Order: sequence, then C-alpha cells, then structure tokens
Amino acid sequence: MSARRVLGWCCFLFVALATGELSAQEPRLVDRVPAAVRSQVDAVVDSARAAGLPAEALIDRALEGASKGADGQRILAAVRRLWLELSAARDALGSGSTAAEVVAGASALRAGATGGDLTHLRAQRPRQSLTVAAAVLADLVAVGVPIDTAVIAVLALAEDADDTEYIAFRRNVERDIARGASPVAALGVRLDAAAELLGTDRAPPSPRKP
Amino acid sequence: MAERDDRLDRAIELLREPVSLRSDLEQRIMAEVEAAPPPRAWARPLWSALEWMRRGRPVTVSPLGGLALAAGVAAILVVGRWSVGPERGPAAAEDGASVVQFVIHAPAARSVSLVGDFNDWSQQATPMQEARGAGVWTVTLPLDPGRYRYAFLLDENTWVSDPSAPRALDDEFGPPSSVVTIGGS
Amino acid sequence: MGMRVEEGESDAALVRRTLAGDSDAFTGLVRRYQDRLGRYAVRMLGETADAEEALQDTFVRAYRSLARCDPERFGAWIYGILVNRCRTLGAQRARRRKLVVGDASAVERASVAHSEDREAWREAIEWALAQISPANREAFLLKHVEDLSYDEMTEVTGASVSALKMRVSRAREELRRLLAEQTHG
Repeated sequence: MSARRVLGWCCFLFVALATGELSAQEPRLVDRVPAAVRSQVDAVVDSARAAGLPAEALIDRALEGASKGADGQRILAAVRRLWLELSAARDALGSGSTAAEVVAGASALRAGATGGDLTHLRAQRPRQSLTVAAAVLADLVAVGVPIDTAVIAVLALAEDADDTEYIAFRRNVERDIARGASPVAALGVRLDAAAELLGTDRAPPSPRKP
Repeated sequence: MAERDDRLDRAIELLREPVSLRSDLEQRIMAEVEAAPPPRAWARPLWSALEWMRRGRPVTVSPLGGLALAAGVAAILVVGRWSVGPERGPAAAEDGASVVQFVIHAPAARSVSLVGDFNDWSQQATPMQEARGAGVWTVTLPLDPGRYRYAFLLDENTWVSDPSAPRALDDEFGPPSSVVTIGGS
Repeated sequence: MGMRVEEGESDAALVRRTLAGDSDAFTGLVRRYQDRLGRYAVRMLGETADAEEALQDTFVRAYRSLARCDPERFGAWIYGILVNRCRTLGAQRARRRKLVVGDASAVERASVAHSEDREAWREAIEWALAQISPANREAFLLKHVEDLSYDEMTEVTGASVSALKMRVSRAREELRRLLAEQTHG
C-alpha cells in the first residue's frame, strides 16, 4: 500500500472516529448481549450518544434483558423502543433536561402520557427537577390509576409539591389501593388532602387535550 | 434512478399503508370552517367581515377528563399487577435519601441478590444478607438521584419484583421489574 | 343549505362552489384529501395527535385562503400548506412519538422482533425515519410515499428540483444503511 493511501485511510479513520461514524463497542455489552445483535444494539447506543440522549439507560435496558436471559431480538426491540421514548421525552421536556428527567419522562410516555403532558409539566415546574413528578405519573398508572387521571393529579401538584411530597402522595395512594380502595377514589381522596396541605388550587392548570 | 433494494421497498410499502386518525376529525374541521369567515373574493373584505360578525360564532369547549370521587365509582381496569404475595416486605426507604435499603421477605430462599440498573444487572454484584435467620433479606446501597429498575433473584434462578415498590410498566423480558425513584436535582 | 357533493366532481368544481358560498362543497374536498394528507402528516411528525392538529390547521387555513388558490391546482396547493404546518409543528416539538401501553400480548408481539415480523419492522422503520433530517424525510415521503412528481414537489416545498433529488437520494442512502444495520442477523 502506498504511503499516500495509508495517509488517506488514517485521515478517514480520524474523521470517522471524530464524527462518530464508526460504531464503538460498548464494553459492558460484550459477552453479555448475544453476538448476533450486539453490533445493532451498539449502533442504537451510539446513535443515542450522538443525539445527546441518555445512552446509559439503553445500556441498562440491554443488560437487564441479558441478565434475564432474553433472546437477542427481544433485547434489540426493547432498546430501540426505549430510544424512541427517550427522544420523545427529551423533545417534550426541552434540550436542557437532565438525563434523569429524560429517563423518567420516557417512563411517563410508556405509561400513556403525551409529549404535551410533559411539556405542561415543565411549564408548571420550571425551576424544579421533573424526575420525581414524571416518575410518580408512571407509578400511579402502574397501580391502576387511568392515565388521564394520573396526569391531572401530577399537574395539579406540580407548582407546590416538592419531591418528598410527590413520593408521599404516591405512597399514600398505593397504600389505600392495597387496602381495597379503587385507584381513582384513592387518588381523589389523597389529592384533596395534599392540596389542602400544600394550600394549592386543586383544579388542574390547563385542560388535557381530548 | 438507482435500483431500490428489498428492504427499502418493503419500508416504502409499509409507509404507504393508511393511517388511522380520530373518527370525528372531519366534524371538527367543518365546525371550524363553519365558524370562519367565508372565503369570498377579497374585493369586498369589509362586507365579508361584517357578515361574519353578524353570523356569530359557536363556542367549543374541550371535554376535560375529571376525577370521580364518589364512593360509587365503577371499578377501574388495573393496568399492572400489584403483587401482595408471600414475599412482601417493608417499603424501601426512598424519600429523597441517597442511601436506600432494599428488603424482601423470602424465607424459603437460600440466596437472594439485588440486580438492577445500579449494578449493570449483575447477578453477583449485590448479594443480600439474611437478618438473623428470619427470612428477611436486606441490602443498603447509595444511589444518585434518578429512576432505577431492579428485581430480586432468588436462588440464582427465580426473578421476583419488589411487592412493596412500584412496578415497571413494561415486561419486555418476561420476569417483572420494580422501580425506585430518588429525588433531587 | 348546500348541494350534495357529486362523486367525480373535480377539485376545481368543488373549490368554485365553496367560493360561491357553499361550505358543503368544502366537505367534499376534506373527505377527498383527508386520508392522504393525514398519512403524510403522521409519517412526517411521528405522532398521530400532532398529525391530526396539523391536518385540522391545514384544512382550516385552506378554507380561509381559498380565494388565493388556483382551482385547477388545489391538490398541490393544499399539500404545500400541510408541508408548512408540519415544518412549523416539527420545529416546535421536534419528532415525537406517542407510545401507548397496549395489552400485554401486543407488547409481547412487538418485543419478539424478527426481521419478518411486521410490527417489529414497522418499529425499525419509524426509528430509521427519526434519524434522518426533516428536510430529507420530507422529500422522501413526498416522493416515495405520496407519489408526487418532482415538479409537484417544487410547487409544494419551494425547493428546486435538483435540491429535492439530492434530498431524496440522501434519504434513501441513509434509510438503506439504517435498515440494514437494524435488521440483519
């Protein structure tokens, strides 16, 4: 190979690495994620890094699948789906959002919230972290609260509740459900109590689009 | 034009499929159209504007999902399963604290590991300790603010979620996971 | 009260009737274009709710400014309005997708991804479309999904034919590469 050609390849590699055109192997996935899909999972993780999305969350999801013995295609589909959710959450919450907020936002979207709901949440809570608020939204849905109702509750508390109060609210709702209350009734009672405690206006700040 | 390859052709075929939109979209469009000034030729804009104002405009109100608080609320379909099985343990401490204790009651287990996002889902990294032979397994971890998925692995082969913690909404890999959220900026 | 829309009545005839004061004629145009425009909006914006909003805005704007439309060119003209609405909405909200938790079996099917599985393939295409630039995506969809000619695309987008051909070509190359990465093995 001529010296000129070697130089050309070196330049190409330099540019490719600098621009992220070559997929780097994520070391934690080697020997854990099935080889058949590893390069594809790496590509999704690389793409997240390039887009400024929390790549750690994608790596964690792949490792969860690997630890639970899932097959390669299932892991790949899960990682790809999470990428889409992270991207959507970041778009809704704003490019200045922290990784933790984006990950929690993605959970909220998985629960059925819309990007508009997350944007409203940001608007209601401009100076506080949204990690816990978005996470509580997803957690309420997980225990059976309908998504619309969960969104209304989380937005109603957004201006006045801090993270501790959000978690306490969620725990109280879960406790009541475990004791036999219906999810909506439990949420309603606890929301009234929280609103009174916080001195907040219980009515949500803006209607959710039908 | 370059030859299409099969994958791209297939992608295009899927993209050309019809999409499903809300069934009342036409009505919504026509409601706004009826409320708008008619698109007359702009030779007489003032007359058109006056006609429009005399017609009046309908007011549309978006329905708002409300909360049903009465005791007679109908049963709501539960989206996720909330386990209250025999391994129930006290709730993990998580009120904004950066040190979190995980607890599970598993009297029949010979070994229990905590496996999750915080330890790269390693089955060996975080073994739990049984307290005084009582079948209560615990471990304490420092966690930065964020949201973490995790599960317990019993006897190196049985995955269980934490019955005292919120359930992860997706069971993409079969065995369920739980989530813990640590507050803070 | 307006006339019924006769099947086979041309766009130009419906436009002229609408301009003459018959808003029912506009209903005919809505019905005729709603599906196609809706499909473009969904593929471009990636979320049905956003697409419905863009579609509704488009028809209402089209109605309001119908006097400026050449009745013989209604199709290209309303496409142009939609493309601009999608650009504006897209710039405001970037690409978003609403992912709804369906029933457990639907999630299971989507998770078991095989290159032949239609649902997994659809996810791969959505993901790949999300990677390419809005301008290239727009050109690709108009050309290969909506079947517009390059002349029509010039009218709709305002870009030159040579610029559009380059965008389509780039989109094809990128999608080909992304789909190959995502579906082999």
